[in-house]
Amino acid sequence: MSIRLSAITRGKVLILLLAIAAVAFPLIHDNDADIDSAANAAAYATLALGLNIVVGFAGLLDLGYAAFFAIGAYAYGILTSFQVMPHWSSFWGPFDWLDLVQRMPQPGGDVVHFTVSFWIMLPVSALIAAFFGILFGAPTLRLRGDYLAIVTLGFGEIVPIVVRNTDSLTNGAAGLNGIQAPSLFGFNFGVDALPYYYVAIAMVALLIFISVRLRDSRIGRAWMAIREDETAAMAMGVDRTRTKLLAFAIGAAFAGATGTFYVAKLQTATPEMFGFPVSVMILVMVVLGGMGSVWGVVLGAAILQLLQSWWLPDLSSWLHILGNGLNIIWLQQVDLTHAIELIFGLILVLMMLYRREGLIPATRKEPELDVMQQHAQVERGTAIALSGLHHDGDATLSVRGITVRFGGLTALNAVDLTVPSGGVVAVIGPNGSGKSTLFNTITGLTPADHGTIRFGDDDITCLPPHIILRRGIARTFQNIRLFNTLSVLDNVLIGQHARLRTGPLGAVLRLPAARHEEATARAWATEIVSIFGNRLLPRLTQTVSHLSYANRRRVEISRALASRPKLLLLDEPTAGMNPAETLELAEQIKALHALGVTILLIEHKLDVVTRLADTVIVLDHGEKIAEGPPDEVRRNEQVLRAYLGRGALARATADA
Amino acid sequence: MTAGGLLLQQLINGLSLGAMYALLALGFTLVYGILELINFAHFNVFMVGSFVGMWTLQAMGLKGQTVILTGLPLAGALLMALIVTMVASGALGVAIERLSLRPLRNVRGPAAMITTIGVSYVLFNVVLLGVGADAKNYPNPLPPVTWTLGDAVLRLREALIWIVALLLMLALQMFVQRSRLGKAMRATAQDPEAARMMGVEVDRVVVIAFFAGSALAGAGGLIFGLYYNFTSFIIGFTAGLRAFTAAVLGGIGNVPGAMLGGVIIGLIEAMGSQFIAAAWTDVIIFSILVLVLVFRPAGLLGRVAPNKS
Amino acid sequence: MPEIELLQFRGVNTFYGDLHVLKDVDYTIMRGEIVSLLGGNASGKSTTMKTIMGVVRPANGSVTFDGQRIDTLSTAERVRRGIAPVLEARRLFPRMTVFENLEMGAYTRKRGMEFDQDLDRVYQLFPRVKERRNQLAGTLSGGEQQMVAIGRALMARPRLICMDEPSMGLSPLYVEQVFEIIQQINRQGTTIFMVEQNANMALAIAHRAYVLQTGRVVLSGTAKELRRDKAIQEAYLGEMQVD
Repeated sequence: MSIRLSAITRGKVLILLLAIAAVAFPLIHDNDADIDSAANAAAYATLALGLNIVVGFAGLLDLGYAAFFAIGAYAYGILTSFQVMPHWSSFWGPFDWLDLVQRMPQPGGDVVHFTVSFWIMLPVSALIAAFFGILFGAPTLRLRGDYLAIVTLGFGEIVPIVVRNTDSLTNGAAGLNGIQAPSLFGFNFGVDALPYYYVAIAMVALLIFISVRLRDSRIGRAWMAIREDETAAMAMGVDRTRTKLLAFAIGAAFAGATGTFYVAKLQTATPEMFGFPVSVMILVMVVLGGMGSVWGVVLGAAILQLLQSWWLPDLSSWLHILGNGLNIIWLQQVDLTHAIELIFGLILVLMMLYRREGLIPATRKEPELDVMQQHAQVERGTAIALSGLHHDGDATLSVRGITVRFGGLTALNAVDLTVPSGGVVAVIGPNGSGKSTLFNTITGLTPADHGTIRFGDDDITCLPPHIILRRGIARTFQNIRLFNTLSVLDNVLIGQHARLRTGPLGAVLRLPAARHEEATARAWATEIVSIFGNRLLPRLTQTVSHLSYANRRRVEISRALASRPKLLLLDEPTAGMNPAETLELAEQIKALHALGVTILLIEHKLDVVTRLADTVIVLDHGEKIAEGPPDEVRRNEQVLRAYLGRGALARATADA
Repeated sequence: MTAGGLLLQQLINGLSLGAMYALLALGFTLVYGILELINFAHFNVFMVGSFVGMWTLQAMGLKGQTVILTGLPLAGALLMALIVTMVASGALGVAIERLSLRPLRNVRGPAAMITTIGVSYVLFNVVLLGVGADAKNYPNPLPPVTWTLGDAVLRLREALIWIVALLLMLALQMFVQRSRLGKAMRATAQDPEAARMMGVEVDRVVVIAFFAGSALAGAGGLIFGLYYNFTSFIIGFTAGLRAFTAAVLGGIGNVPGAMLGGVIIGLIEAMGSQFIAAAWTDVIIFSILVLVLVFRPAGLLGRVAPNKS
Repeated sequence: MPEIELLQFRGVNTFYGDLHVLKDVDYTIMRGEIVSLLGGNASGKSTTMKTIMGVVRPANGSVTFDGQRIDTLSTAERVRRGIAPVLEARRLFPRMTVFENLEMGAYTRKRGMEFDQDLDRVYQLFPRVKERRNQLAGTLSGGEQQMVAIGRALMARPRLICMDEPSMGLSPLYVEQVFEIIQQINRQGTTIFMVEQNANMALAIAHRAYVLQTGRVVLSGTAKELRRDKAIQEAYLGEMQVD
């Protein structure tokens, strides 16, 4: 514990030192050109932070990110330059009073000059860009990741084209000029680099803060869940549409604000400033620093700026000296700054080949279990303590005439099934008989061609998966779908996603309500994991991909339980477990049932089925061929035939 | 010119552009079909191919706008240029696969796609630094033979482009449908693991897909130069994006689909720049891409793919 | 039947990332046998198949085929040496014709007389397959697909066929047909290693069997012994036990 504490303290000291260095830099190094470079670096760092939310956190590869930069830039540019000047009318009076516009006398009649303050436009541009983020993001939501890349690339192309071809608004290819510089308390920033530097540093600090807060919240977990396994995330109650759009919107907002800052600093804006090369450069920063790594992308931005402004020019002049010494003409004239984009390309390739996690990886190595924990006596858990699971509501699931077809194959054919509230029903049947399809249909992952599914009093047939989870149905998957790069705790916390309320604002501000909710959620996660005794508890912070097969199953069950389901769907919970582990899990499932959870389970091991289920349903070829108490079903001749085949049955009985 | 004449003329232009986009789209489709990877490097393999074609023509003495060869010698020289361009581009594609993509074959996530962006950028900047930013005059060795069709004019170069593109596409279609390796390629695209279990060496199939796709892109680059009479380091981006749209429109992974998509995109570009405005061509084409992806992601000829999740 | 080993696993361990799948596994399959591999889902059965075919490489231990180490060979080389798979869920190439699927089975071999003979043999075994040879494989029913899948394996003229759950998703009628054909192929001299979840049925046609549980071989013996062993019946044979 003392080691971890000091690690946190060390981190805080490091941040403090960085902040002091950033504030002191221009005072120590009084060189306007360098301060200007540093301000640009900081502006790019804010862009990288924004793209990191989209690409790093949510895993949505956006190749047209500069479009939002452009939108923020032109929003400020148009509202503070002399490009758009409508005729003056009384309509503009109130705006004049608010200092948003000025009345300018002109020979042909007075006109309006927009003079919206930089400080107002900073958040407004963020909002405008966020709006476009949602607009561009919406059609891409259901696309596979690689299509998303090409569509965003296209949007990134379209925005400059539109800018170039709407002369009246943007002055076309010539660009906007005379954009107003910011001023603060009467002090005009003008063209001096220093004030811009401090604004940029403040923006970086703020966006780092926002990024970290979001990452460590309910929102950040949902993004990472989507990134790791979209289907599982939806089944765990994450609203795919909202979650992705939120990432687009927040990422775009960062770029919008940066765009405003950037043109305010340059006081000019042309379409060329926001093309594909800019999108690539920001991507290079993110890739270099580490996708998903907040401090990494800031470092990436800093390194690229150092490379452009200091290292390459220095290296070039050394080469010139070398060229003079050796009398090699081309070496005397070489200018490496022209090769910057070539270097960007090489960075992308080399990082992907040799260090995909970036310079500062987003996931740190968690502490290994110590020897004592590794060799601790396995304590079986009991589920007695889970008071939060108790439900009064009706949890009856009734499936009526469900038919599902994949192309020519009928996976489920008019299946009826009822799980009474408080009951345990087992579905058995050979592999390929439609059991998992049944689960997918109940949980909204696979649409039904016919039939209805009711849960309690509601028809849930066509609801999306996250809504079905909210109604109280949670599931596990046959082939275990955990969020592999996340910890045990985070996996279980994502299970609670739908039960928590914290939004982006609450996550950033960490208001008492949000803090309380998070603490309760963590306590609940720990409580659930304790069902399994000390099997998972000491591994809470471990990445789930390091766990054993049986422990992964246990995490998946914990994750499903975290949503406080009324009905729990378990798809072969004991697959891959040995008899002792199977028995242990069967007891734990029984205990959960005793706590009031209704259970529908797919299981092959008949002893488990007999031990747990009141009713067994047998599927074969997508059809229900038997239903009844376990003992009865085992003697059903049709079941025997489905399982054994007639000839084989005869031989087997003859032998026995 | 009458409206009908304009339409016919733009049809001729559109088919020529379409032939070029189709050749380029085939490379996207072949690689995507097998690896489910959008190969951004393909954009600039096309561009490099265009330069290789120019240099080959120049090396054979075909420079500037003067016609110095006619008849069979000219045909031979052009064929030579085509072969050199295709082999060189194909080799470039294979090198890209071998050096930068094969190590990432089994890596989840966007790593391979990011790598192709990096490679594309490297090619782009190597050419920019090597030959400079100005557009290069492409040799124009073809005699100014034209045919008039009503108001419209069909030039020899357009007829030649159609024939070459058609022959190349037929050859590819034959290869994919009939040959042993072509069948292995289709099998790998449909189920890589099963194909591997049949004894197909997937690495070899991937190499062939990259070679064939890149060679066709190189041919497209040569056609670009002959058609527009210039080439430049920047031509890959726009043409690549349009050709990718063509591949998606036809149904990505589908060889005849890429051809159909290419022709449609070429026609849209020609008609759009005549009857709407050239400045908005990319906006129109790109809107098509988004609409297709949203409403018919399998494209015109593709089947609706079962969800792989 | 001469007692010569055809396929042997010695102390094989495999991993997927951190996950230890096969743990010190030993198998011996004699020439001419039908050997069944039984076990629940996630017990390592499919990993065994993938290890034989060279899709998964063992971290240690050895795999020998016909007396020679094959664990460093490519999948293609293994197919060439005479191992052919019938994959789980059939895995035909859906947008290729039935004939093309059969051709893919003979991918590592030269076209010629032998190819035509093998084709005849497949068509004789499965007249339905011949009828459907120009149809796209994806349009066939499950049972027909399974026949094409077995035919595809035979086209490699294999000495060992590895079958991954040949009964999966088939109706009882087809299951019986498929099992009869497996026996017929075996009688013609091809050794068969068959992963099955349906223990009773597999034991009815197998000579010997291994039982796999959480990646370890926990039982092995002749099919007859295993069928009679009461404890085994209760623990492993049964999704459904015969009283």
